[in-house]
Amino acid sequence: MSLIPKLLLIDDNEEILISLKSYLSKRNFDVISASNGLDALKLLEVATHDFDLVITDLVMPNISGVAVTSIIKKQNPDMPVIAITGYGEEPEALAREANADVVMEKPFKLDELENNIKKLLLK
Amino acid sequence: MSRPIIGVSENIVKIHEVIDHIADTGLNTVICGESGVGKEVVAQTLYQKSSRNGKPFIKVNCAALPDGLLESELFGYEKGAFTGADRKTRGKFELANKGVLMLDEIGDMSLPLQAKLLHVLQGGAFAPLGSEKEFKTDTWVIAATNHELEKDIAEGKFREDLYYRLNIIRIFIQPLRERPEDIPHLIDYYLKEYSLLFNSDNIIQPSDSVIDELTKYPWPGNVRELQNILKRMLVLGDAEKILDEMHRRTGSTSASSDGSTSDTSATGYNGILDFYGKDSPDEPSFSLKTIRKTALDRVEKEVISHVLGKTGWNRSKATKILKISYKTLLYKISDLGIVPPNKTD
Repeated sequence: MSLIPKLLLIDDNEEILISLKSYLSKRNFDVISASNGLDALKLLEVATHDFDLVITDLVMPNISGVAVTSIIKKQNPDMPVIAITGYGEEPEALAREANADVVMEKPFKLDELENNIKKLLLK
Repeated sequence: MSRPIIGVSENIVKIHEVIDHIADTGLNTVICGESGVGKEVVAQTLYQKSSRNGKPFIKVNCAALPDGLLESELFGYEKGAFTGADRKTRGKFELANKGVLMLDEIGDMSLPLQAKLLHVLQGGAFAPLGSEKEFKTDTWVIAATNHELEKDIAEGKFREDLYYRLNIIRIFIQPLRERPEDIPHLIDYYLKEYSLLFNSDNIIQPSDSVIDELTKYPWPGNVRELQNILKRMLVLGDAEKILDEMHRRTGSTSASSDGSTSDTSATGYNGILDFYGKDSPDEPSFSLKTIRKTALDRVEKEVISHVLGKTGWNRSKATKILKISYKTLLYKISDLGIVPPNKTD
Protein backbone atom coordinates (compact mmCIF):
# COMPACT_ATOMS: atom_id res chain seq x y z
CA MET A 1 0.00 0.00 0.00
CA SER A 2 1.24 3.47 -0.88
CA LEU A 3 1.89 6.11 1.75
CA ILE A 4 -1.30 7.92 0.88
CA PRO A 5 -3.97 5.25 0.28
CA LYS A 6 -5.61 5.55 -3.13
CA LEU A 7 -9.37 5.04 -3.23
CA LEU A 8 -11.71 4.55 -6.18
CA LEU A 9 -15.06 6.17 -5.42
CA ILE A 10 -18.04 5.30 -7.66
CA ASP A 11 -21.46 6.98 -7.48
CA ASP A 12 -23.85 8.23 -10.14
CA ASN A 13 -25.10 10.96 -7.80
CA GLU A 14 -22.81 13.93 -8.44
CA GLU A 15 -23.56 15.64 -5.11
CA ILE A 16 -22.67 12.53 -3.10
CA LEU A 17 -19.58 11.97 -5.21
CA ILE A 18 -18.34 15.54 -4.61
CA SER A 19 -19.08 15.58 -0.89
CA LEU A 20 -17.52 12.15 -0.21
CA LYS A 21 -14.48 13.00 -2.31
CA SER A 22 -14.04 16.30 -0.49
CA TYR A 23 -14.34 14.67 2.96
CA LEU A 24 -12.00 11.76 2.20
CA SER A 25 -9.41 14.00 0.52
CA LYS A 26 -9.24 16.09 3.67
CA ARG A 27 -8.67 12.87 5.66
CA ASN A 28 -5.52 12.24 3.70
CA PHE A 29 -6.81 9.80 1.10
CA ASP A 30 -6.05 10.09 -2.60
CA VAL A 31 -9.52 9.81 -4.15
CA ILE A 32 -10.20 9.07 -7.81
CA SER A 33 -13.88 9.24 -8.73
CA ALA A 34 -16.09 7.67 -11.40
CA SER A 35 -19.72 8.55 -12.03
CA ASN A 36 -20.74 5.14 -13.39
CA GLY A 37 -19.77 1.48 -13.34
CA LEU A 38 -18.39 1.42 -16.86
CA ASP A 39 -15.91 4.27 -16.22
CA ALA A 40 -14.89 2.58 -12.98
CA LEU A 41 -14.15 -0.71 -14.76
CA LYS A 42 -12.13 1.18 -17.38
CA LEU A 43 -10.06 2.83 -14.64
CA LEU A 44 -9.51 -0.52 -12.93
CA GLU A 45 -8.56 -2.09 -16.24
CA VAL A 46 -5.61 0.21 -16.76
CA ALA A 47 -4.52 0.51 -13.14
CA THR A 48 -6.02 -2.18 -10.89
CA HIS A 49 -2.99 -2.30 -8.62
CA ASP A 50 -2.90 1.46 -8.21
CA PHE A 51 -5.97 1.33 -6.01
CA ASP A 52 -6.00 0.25 -2.39
CA LEU A 53 -9.75 0.20 -1.89
CA VAL A 54 -13.02 0.69 -3.80
CA ILE A 55 -16.16 2.41 -2.53
CA THR A 56 -19.17 1.91 -4.76
CA ASP A 57 -22.80 2.88 -4.83
CA LEU A 58 -24.93 -0.18 -5.64
CA VAL A 59 -27.87 1.03 -7.71
CA MET A 60 -26.51 2.68 -10.85
CA PRO A 61 -27.56 2.53 -14.52
CA ASN A 62 -25.82 0.19 -17.00
CA ILE A 63 -23.26 -1.56 -14.81
CA SER A 64 -24.48 -1.57 -11.21
CA GLY A 65 -22.29 -1.48 -8.10
CA VAL A 66 -23.18 -5.13 -7.54
CA ALA A 67 -21.69 -5.93 -10.96
CA VAL A 68 -18.60 -3.79 -10.27
CA THR A 69 -18.08 -5.56 -6.92
CA SER A 70 -18.56 -8.99 -8.46
CA ILE A 71 -16.11 -8.27 -11.30
CA ILE A 72 -13.47 -6.78 -8.95
CA LYS A 73 -13.70 -9.70 -6.53
CA LYS A 74 -13.36 -12.28 -9.33
CA GLN A 75 -10.29 -10.56 -10.76
CA ASN A 76 -8.70 -9.41 -7.54
CA PRO A 77 -10.22 -11.08 -4.44
CA ASP A 78 -7.93 -9.12 -2.09
CA MET A 79 -9.17 -5.71 -3.19
CA PRO A 80 -11.33 -4.32 -0.34
CA VAL A 81 -14.75 -3.12 -1.45
CA ILE A 82 -17.22 -1.00 0.51
CA ALA A 83 -20.74 -0.99 -0.97
CA ILE A 84 -23.13 1.83 -0.13
CA THR A 85 -26.85 1.85 -0.84
CA GLY A 86 -30.09 3.52 0.04
CA TYR A 87 -32.40 1.02 -1.62
CA GLY A 88 -33.13 -1.50 1.12
CA GLU A 89 -32.54 -5.18 1.69
CA GLU A 90 -32.27 -6.71 -1.79
CA PRO A 91 -29.34 -4.59 -3.06
CA GLU A 92 -27.59 -5.20 0.29
CA ALA A 93 -28.09 -8.97 -0.05
CA LEU A 94 -26.78 -8.80 -3.62
CA ALA A 95 -23.68 -6.87 -2.49
CA ARG A 96 -22.94 -9.50 0.17
CA GLU A 97 -23.38 -12.29 -2.39
CA ALA A 98 -20.90 -10.41 -4.60
CA ASN A 99 -18.47 -10.53 -1.65
CA ALA A 100 -18.41 -6.84 -0.72
CA ASP A 101 -16.35 -6.53 2.47
CA VAL A 102 -18.62 -3.94 4.07
CA VAL A 103 -22.15 -2.90 3.12
CA MET A 104 -23.25 0.51 4.41
CA GLU A 105 -26.80 1.80 4.32
CA LYS A 106 -27.39 5.47 3.50
CA PRO A 107 -27.53 7.76 5.36
CA PHE A 108 -24.35 6.97 7.29
CA LYS A 109 -21.94 9.05 9.32
CA LEU A 110 -18.82 10.06 7.42
CA ASP A 111 -16.53 9.05 10.28
CA GLU A 112 -18.15 5.61 10.16
CA LEU A 113 -17.09 5.33 6.51
CA GLU A 114 -13.61 6.54 7.41
CA ASN A 115 -13.35 3.91 10.17
CA ASN A 116 -14.41 1.15 7.80
CA ILE A 117 -11.82 2.27 5.23
CA LYS A 118 -9.05 2.27 7.86
CA LYS A 119 -10.06 -1.15 9.20
CA LEU A 120 -10.04 -2.70 5.73
CA LEU A 121 -6.72 -1.09 4.80
CA LEU A 122 -5.12 -2.51 7.93
CA LYS A 123 -6.19 -6.08 7.11
CA MET B 1 -23.96 -15.84 -36.23
CA SER B 2 -26.66 -13.29 -35.51
CA ARG B 3 -26.77 -9.77 -36.86
CA PRO B 4 -24.31 -7.30 -35.38
CA ILE B 5 -25.35 -4.26 -33.35
CA ILE B 6 -25.16 -1.51 -35.93
CA GLY B 7 -24.65 2.20 -35.27
CA VAL B 8 -22.27 4.99 -34.40
CA SER B 9 -24.44 6.89 -31.90
CA GLU B 10 -23.27 7.42 -28.33
CA ASN B 11 -25.94 4.96 -27.16
CA ILE B 12 -24.73 2.16 -29.45
CA VAL B 13 -21.04 2.84 -28.73
CA LYS B 14 -21.77 2.60 -24.99
CA ILE B 15 -23.72 -0.64 -25.46
CA HIS B 16 -20.68 -2.16 -27.22
CA GLU B 17 -18.45 -1.03 -24.35
CA VAL B 18 -20.77 -2.48 -21.70
CA ILE B 19 -20.99 -5.79 -23.58
CA ASP B 20 -17.20 -6.00 -23.88
CA HIS B 21 -16.84 -5.50 -20.13
CA ILE B 22 -19.56 -7.82 -18.85
CA ALA B 23 -20.21 -10.52 -21.47
CA ASP B 24 -18.13 -13.07 -19.62
CA THR B 25 -19.50 -12.41 -16.14
CA GLY B 26 -22.82 -14.27 -16.40
CA LEU B 27 -24.43 -11.53 -14.29
CA ASN B 28 -28.20 -11.12 -14.57
CA THR B 29 -29.01 -8.59 -17.25
CA VAL B 30 -32.04 -6.61 -18.36
CA ILE B 31 -32.25 -5.17 -21.87
CA CYS B 32 -34.80 -2.35 -22.14
CA GLY B 33 -36.18 -0.46 -25.11
CA GLU B 34 -39.22 0.05 -27.30
CA SER B 35 -40.53 -2.73 -29.53
CA GLY B 36 -38.35 -3.28 -32.58
CA VAL B 37 -35.13 -1.64 -31.31
CA GLY B 38 -33.15 -4.89 -31.40
CA LYS B 39 -33.15 -6.29 -27.87
CA GLU B 40 -32.63 -9.86 -29.06
CA VAL B 41 -29.67 -8.78 -31.20
CA VAL B 42 -28.04 -7.38 -28.04
CA ALA B 43 -28.84 -10.58 -26.10
CA GLN B 44 -27.32 -12.71 -28.88
CA THR B 45 -24.21 -10.53 -28.96
CA LEU B 46 -23.78 -10.89 -25.18
CA TYR B 47 -24.06 -14.67 -25.57
CA GLN B 48 -21.66 -14.86 -28.49
CA LYS B 49 -19.02 -12.78 -26.73
CA SER B 50 -19.24 -14.90 -23.58
CA SER B 51 -17.59 -18.21 -22.79
CA ARG B 52 -21.12 -19.70 -22.96
CA ASN B 53 -21.09 -19.36 -26.75
CA GLY B 54 -21.84 -22.79 -28.22
CA LYS B 55 -23.91 -23.79 -25.19
CA PRO B 56 -27.72 -23.49 -25.41
CA PHE B 57 -29.34 -20.11 -26.05
CA ILE B 58 -33.02 -20.48 -25.25
CA LYS B 59 -35.60 -17.74 -25.64
CA VAL B 60 -38.98 -17.72 -23.90
CA ASN B 61 -41.60 -15.06 -24.59
CA CYS B 62 -43.26 -14.46 -21.23
CA ALA B 63 -46.17 -12.60 -22.85
CA ALA B 64 -47.01 -15.36 -25.33
CA LEU B 65 -48.04 -18.07 -22.88
CA PRO B 66 -50.72 -18.28 -20.17
CA ASP B 67 -49.36 -18.37 -16.63
CA GLY B 68 -49.63 -22.13 -15.94
CA LEU B 69 -48.13 -23.02 -19.28
CA LEU B 70 -45.27 -20.54 -18.84
CA GLU B 71 -44.46 -22.06 -15.45
CA SER B 72 -44.28 -25.58 -16.88
CA GLU B 73 -42.26 -24.25 -19.85
CA LEU B 74 -39.72 -22.63 -17.53
CA PHE B 75 -39.39 -25.30 -14.85
CA GLY B 76 -40.63 -28.51 -16.53
CA TYR B 77 -42.89 -31.11 -14.99
CA GLU B 78 -43.03 -34.70 -13.80
CA LYS B 79 -45.28 -37.32 -15.34
CA GLY B 80 -48.74 -36.97 -13.76
CA ALA B 81 -48.06 -33.48 -12.37
CA PHE B 82 -51.32 -32.30 -13.96
CA THR B 83 -53.98 -33.59 -16.33
CA GLY B 84 -52.33 -34.25 -19.67
CA ALA B 85 -48.79 -34.50 -18.26
CA ASP B 86 -48.27 -37.98 -19.69
CA ARG B 87 -44.49 -37.84 -19.62
CA LYS B 88 -41.70 -36.07 -17.78
CA THR B 89 -40.69 -32.87 -19.55
CA ARG B 90 -37.60 -30.76 -18.96
CA GLY B 91 -38.06 -27.02 -18.51
CA LYS B 92 -36.17 -24.22 -20.22
CA PHE B 93 -34.11 -23.50 -17.09
CA GLU B 94 -32.78 -27.04 -17.22
CA LEU B 95 -32.31 -27.02 -21.00
CA ALA B 96 -30.41 -23.70 -20.80
CA ASN B 97 -28.04 -24.98 -18.10
CA LYS B 98 -24.50 -23.63 -18.74
CA GLY B 99 -25.98 -21.41 -21.44
CA VAL B 100 -28.37 -18.47 -21.68
CA LEU B 101 -32.08 -18.20 -20.97
CA MET B 102 -33.56 -15.09 -22.56
CA LEU B 103 -36.81 -14.09 -20.85
CA ASP B 104 -38.43 -11.79 -23.37
CA GLU B 105 -41.29 -9.49 -22.27
CA ILE B 106 -40.42 -10.04 -18.60
CA GLY B 107 -42.68 -7.08 -17.69
CA ASP B 108 -45.68 -9.20 -18.66
CA MET B 109 -44.90 -12.01 -16.22
CA SER B 110 -47.50 -12.52 -13.47
CA LEU B 111 -46.64 -11.71 -9.84
CA PRO B 112 -46.85 -15.38 -8.63
CA LEU B 113 -44.46 -16.46 -11.38
CA GLN B 114 -42.18 -13.49 -10.61
CA ALA B 115 -41.92 -14.89 -7.04
CA LYS B 116 -40.87 -18.29 -8.41
CA LEU B 117 -38.34 -16.70 -10.75
CA LEU B 118 -36.92 -14.69 -7.84
CA HIS B 119 -36.49 -17.92 -5.84
CA VAL B 120 -34.48 -19.46 -8.70
CA LEU B 121 -32.34 -16.34 -9.12
CA GLN B 122 -31.64 -16.14 -5.39
CA GLY B 123 -30.50 -19.73 -5.03
CA GLY B 124 -29.99 -21.05 -8.53
CA ALA B 125 -32.33 -23.96 -7.74
CA PHE B 126 -35.78 -24.91 -8.99
CA ALA B 127 -38.21 -27.81 -8.75
CA PRO B 128 -40.19 -29.04 -11.76
CA LEU B 129 -43.98 -29.14 -11.30
CA GLY B 130 -44.95 -32.27 -9.38
CA SER B 131 -41.43 -32.85 -8.09
CA GLU B 132 -40.17 -32.38 -4.56
CA LYS B 133 -36.56 -32.50 -5.65
CA GLU B 134 -34.80 -29.22 -6.45
CA PHE B 135 -32.30 -28.95 -9.27
CA LYS B 136 -29.35 -26.59 -9.31
CA THR B 137 -28.89 -24.60 -12.47
CA ASP B 138 -26.10 -22.46 -13.88
CA THR B 139 -28.14 -20.44 -16.33
CA TRP B 140 -27.36 -16.89 -17.37
CA VAL B 141 -30.66 -15.03 -17.31
CA ILE B 142 -30.99 -12.18 -19.79
CA ALA B 143 -34.39 -10.49 -19.53
CA ALA B 144 -35.85 -8.05 -22.02
CA THR B 145 -38.76 -5.65 -21.80
CA ASN B 146 -40.38 -2.65 -23.42
CA HIS B 147 -42.01 -1.77 -20.08
CA GLU B 148 -40.77 0.90 -17.73
CA LEU B 149 -40.22 -1.52 -14.87
CA GLU B 150 -39.84 1.31 -12.33
CA LYS B 151 -43.38 2.41 -13.23
CA ASP B 152 -44.61 -1.19 -13.00
CA ILE B 153 -43.09 -1.42 -9.49
CA ALA B 154 -44.89 1.78 -8.43
CA GLU B 155 -48.16 0.30 -9.75
CA GLY B 156 -47.59 -2.99 -7.94
CA LYS B 157 -47.21 -4.98 -11.16
CA PHE B 158 -43.55 -5.88 -10.79
CA ARG B 159 -41.63 -7.07 -7.70
CA GLU B 160 -39.00 -4.63 -6.51
CA ASP B 161 -36.73 -7.39 -5.21
CA LEU B 162 -36.84 -9.16 -8.58
CA TYR B 163 -36.10 -5.84 -10.31
CA TYR B 164 -32.86 -5.40 -8.32
CA ARG B 165 -31.97 -9.07 -8.80
CA LEU B 166 -32.28 -8.74 -12.59
CA ASN B 167 -30.85 -5.22 -12.92
CA ILE B 168 -27.26 -6.14 -12.11
CA ILE B 169 -26.58 -5.07 -15.67
CA ARG B 170 -29.05 -2.83 -17.47
CA ILE B 171 -28.72 -2.11 -21.16
CA PHE B 172 -31.05 0.53 -22.58
CA ILE B 173 -31.43 0.76 -26.35
CA GLN B 174 -32.66 4.17 -27.44
CA PRO B 175 -35.49 4.39 -29.97
CA LEU B 176 -34.28 4.98 -33.51
CA ARG B 177 -35.74 8.52 -33.64
CA GLU B 178 -33.33 9.54 -30.86
CA ARG B 179 -30.27 8.28 -32.75
CA PRO B 180 -30.83 9.25 -36.41
CA GLU B 181 -27.09 9.09 -37.09
CA ASP B 182 -27.42 5.27 -36.96
CA ILE B 183 -30.06 5.13 -39.71
CA PRO B 184 -27.74 5.38 -42.79
CA HIS B 185 -25.56 2.62 -41.33
CA LEU B 186 -28.58 0.40 -40.72
CA ILE B 187 -29.88 1.08 -44.25
CA ASP B 188 -26.50 0.22 -45.73
CA TYR B 189 -26.31 -3.04 -43.77
CA TYR B 190 -29.83 -4.24 -44.52
CA LEU B 191 -29.71 -3.26 -48.21
CA LYS B 192 -26.65 -5.48 -48.60
CA GLU B 193 -28.30 -8.31 -46.64
CA TYR B 194 -31.60 -8.16 -48.56
CA SER B 195 -29.88 -7.80 -51.95
CA LEU B 196 -28.16 -11.13 -51.26
CA LEU B 197 -31.35 -12.65 -49.87
CA PHE B 198 -33.55 -11.74 -52.83
CA ASN B 199 -30.70 -12.65 -55.19
CA SER B 200 -32.00 -10.53 -58.06
CA ASP B 201 -30.24 -8.27 -60.54
CA ASN B 202 -33.43 -6.24 -60.92
CA ILE B 203 -33.23 -4.75 -57.42
CA ILE B 204 -33.42 -0.97 -57.49
CA GLN B 205 -31.30 0.58 -54.76
CA PRO B 206 -32.90 3.61 -53.06
CA SER B 207 -31.42 6.92 -54.23
CA ASP B 208 -29.47 9.28 -51.95
CA SER B 209 -32.52 11.52 -51.59
CA VAL B 210 -34.64 8.52 -50.50
CA ILE B 211 -32.00 7.56 -47.94
CA ASP B 212 -32.01 11.16 -46.72
CA GLU B 213 -35.79 11.04 -46.32
CA LEU B 214 -35.56 7.73 -44.45
CA THR B 215 -33.02 9.26 -42.07
CA LYS B 216 -35.41 12.08 -41.21
CA TYR B 217 -38.37 9.76 -40.57
CA PRO B 218 -39.25 9.12 -36.86
CA TRP B 219 -39.55 5.29 -37.13
CA PRO B 220 -42.16 4.54 -34.45
CA GLY B 221 -41.65 0.81 -35.13
CA ASN B 222 -37.86 1.26 -34.87
CA VAL B 223 -35.39 -1.05 -36.65
CA ARG B 224 -38.06 -3.66 -37.36
CA GLU B 225 -40.10 -1.08 -39.27
CA LEU B 226 -37.01 0.08 -41.15
CA GLN B 227 -36.32 -3.53 -42.18
CA ASN B 228 -39.89 -3.93 -43.49
CA ILE B 229 -39.77 -0.67 -45.44
CA LEU B 230 -36.43 -1.54 -47.03
CA LYS B 231 -37.74 -4.97 -48.07
CA ARG B 232 -40.79 -3.33 -49.64
CA MET B 233 -38.64 -0.80 -51.46
CA LEU B 234 -36.37 -3.49 -52.84
CA VAL B 235 -39.17 -5.80 -53.93
CA LEU B 236 -41.64 -3.22 -55.24
CA GLY B 237 -39.06 -0.65 -56.32
CA ASP B 238 -41.50 2.22 -55.75
CA ALA B 239 -39.61 4.13 -53.08
CA GLU B 240 -41.33 7.47 -53.70
CA LYS B 241 -44.80 5.99 -53.23
CA ILE B 242 -43.75 4.21 -50.03
CA LEU B 243 -42.21 7.45 -48.73
CA ASP B 244 -45.43 9.32 -49.52
CA GLU B 245 -47.44 6.80 -47.48
CA MET B 246 -44.98 7.06 -44.60
CA HIS B 247 -45.04 10.85 -44.53
CA ARG B 248 -48.83 10.97 -44.69
CA ARG B 249 -48.89 8.86 -41.57
CA THR B 250 -46.19 10.92 -39.88
CA GLY B 251 -48.28 14.02 -40.41
CA SER B 252 -51.20 12.39 -38.65
CA THR B 253 -49.20 10.98 -35.73
CA SER B 254 -47.19 14.14 -35.12
CA ALA B 255 -50.49 15.86 -34.32
CA SER B 256 -50.84 13.81 -31.12
CA SER B 257 -50.96 15.89 -27.96
CA ASP B 258 -47.75 14.63 -26.39
CA GLY B 259 -45.89 14.31 -29.68
CA SER B 260 -45.34 10.63 -29.11
CA THR B 261 -45.94 7.77 -31.49
CA SER B 262 -46.97 4.28 -30.58
CA ASP B 263 -46.60 0.78 -31.92
CA THR B 264 -50.26 0.70 -32.93
CA SER B 265 -49.77 3.72 -35.13
CA ALA B 266 -46.75 1.99 -36.63
CA THR B 267 -48.95 -0.60 -38.27
CA GLY B 268 -50.61 2.14 -40.25
CA TYR B 269 -47.44 3.06 -42.11
CA ASN B 270 -47.74 0.04 -44.28
CA GLY B 271 -51.50 0.42 -44.58
CA ILE B 272 -53.31 0.36 -47.86
CA LEU B 273 -56.08 2.76 -46.91
CA ASP B 274 -55.84 6.50 -46.47
CA PHE B 275 -58.07 7.17 -43.46
CA TYR B 276 -56.97 10.79 -43.40
CA GLY B 277 -57.75 11.35 -47.10
CA LYS B 278 -60.12 9.80 -49.57
CA ASP B 279 -60.87 6.75 -47.37
CA SER B 280 -61.85 8.88 -44.39
CA PRO B 281 -64.97 7.82 -42.43
CA ASP B 282 -66.07 11.47 -42.85
CA GLU B 283 -66.49 10.97 -46.62
CA PRO B 284 -70.17 10.51 -47.70
CA SER B 285 -69.21 7.40 -49.71
CA PHE B 286 -67.66 5.69 -46.65
CA SER B 287 -69.05 2.27 -45.76
CA LEU B 288 -67.47 -1.06 -44.82
CA LYS B 289 -68.55 -2.47 -48.19
CA THR B 290 -66.92 0.31 -50.24
CA ILE B 291 -63.80 0.21 -48.09
CA ARG B 292 -63.51 -3.55 -48.56
CA LYS B 293 -63.77 -3.11 -52.35
CA THR B 294 -61.20 -0.26 -52.30
CA ALA B 295 -58.77 -2.26 -50.19
CA LEU B 296 -59.17 -5.38 -52.31
CA ASP B 297 -58.68 -3.42 -55.54
CA ARG B 298 -55.50 -1.81 -54.25
CA VAL B 299 -54.03 -5.11 -53.06
CA GLU B 300 -54.92 -6.81 -56.34
CA LYS B 301 -53.47 -3.94 -58.34
CA GLU B 302 -50.23 -4.01 -56.38
CA VAL B 303 -49.85 -7.79 -56.62
CA ILE B 304 -50.71 -8.02 -60.32
CA SER B 305 -48.47 -5.05 -61.19
CA HIS B 306 -45.62 -6.65 -59.26
CA VAL B 307 -46.02 -10.04 -60.98
CA LEU B 308 -46.33 -8.41 -64.43
CA GLY B 309 -43.19 -6.41 -63.69
CA LYS B 310 -41.34 -9.56 -62.66
CA THR B 311 -42.40 -11.42 -65.83
CA GLY B 312 -41.61 -8.47 -68.12
CA TRP B 313 -45.35 -8.15 -68.84
CA ASN B 314 -45.53 -11.71 -70.14
CA ARG B 315 -49.24 -12.24 -69.43
CA SER B 316 -49.17 -16.05 -69.90
CA LYS B 317 -46.42 -16.41 -67.28
CA ALA B 318 -48.27 -14.00 -64.99
CA THR B 319 -51.51 -16.03 -65.15
CA LYS B 320 -49.60 -19.16 -64.10
CA ILE B 321 -48.04 -17.38 -61.10
CA LEU B 322 -51.30 -15.71 -60.10
CA LYS B 323 -53.30 -18.90 -60.80
CA ILE B 324 -56.04 -17.02 -62.68
CA SER B 325 -57.31 -17.39 -66.27
CA TYR B 326 -55.93 -15.29 -69.12
CA LYS B 327 -59.36 -13.70 -69.57
CA THR B 328 -59.53 -12.73 -65.87
CA LEU B 329 -56.05 -11.21 -66.04
CA LEU B 330 -56.97 -9.06 -69.04
CA TYR B 331 -60.15 -7.94 -67.26
CA LYS B 332 -58.20 -7.05 -64.09
CA ILE B 333 -55.56 -5.10 -66.06
CA SER B 334 -58.31 -3.05 -67.67
CA ASP B 335 -60.56 -2.70 -64.62
CA LEU B 336 -57.77 -1.77 -62.19
CA GLY B 337 -56.07 0.57 -64.66
CA ILE B 338 -52.74 -1.31 -64.66
CA VAL B 339 -50.42 0.00 -67.37
CA PRO B 340 -46.92 -1.10 -68.41
CA PRO B 341 -44.11 1.01 -66.89
CA ASN B 342 -43.22 2.75 -70.20
CA LYS B 343 -46.83 3.94 -70.58
CA THR B 344 -47.03 5.71 -67.24
CA ASP B 345 -46.79 9.50 -67.03
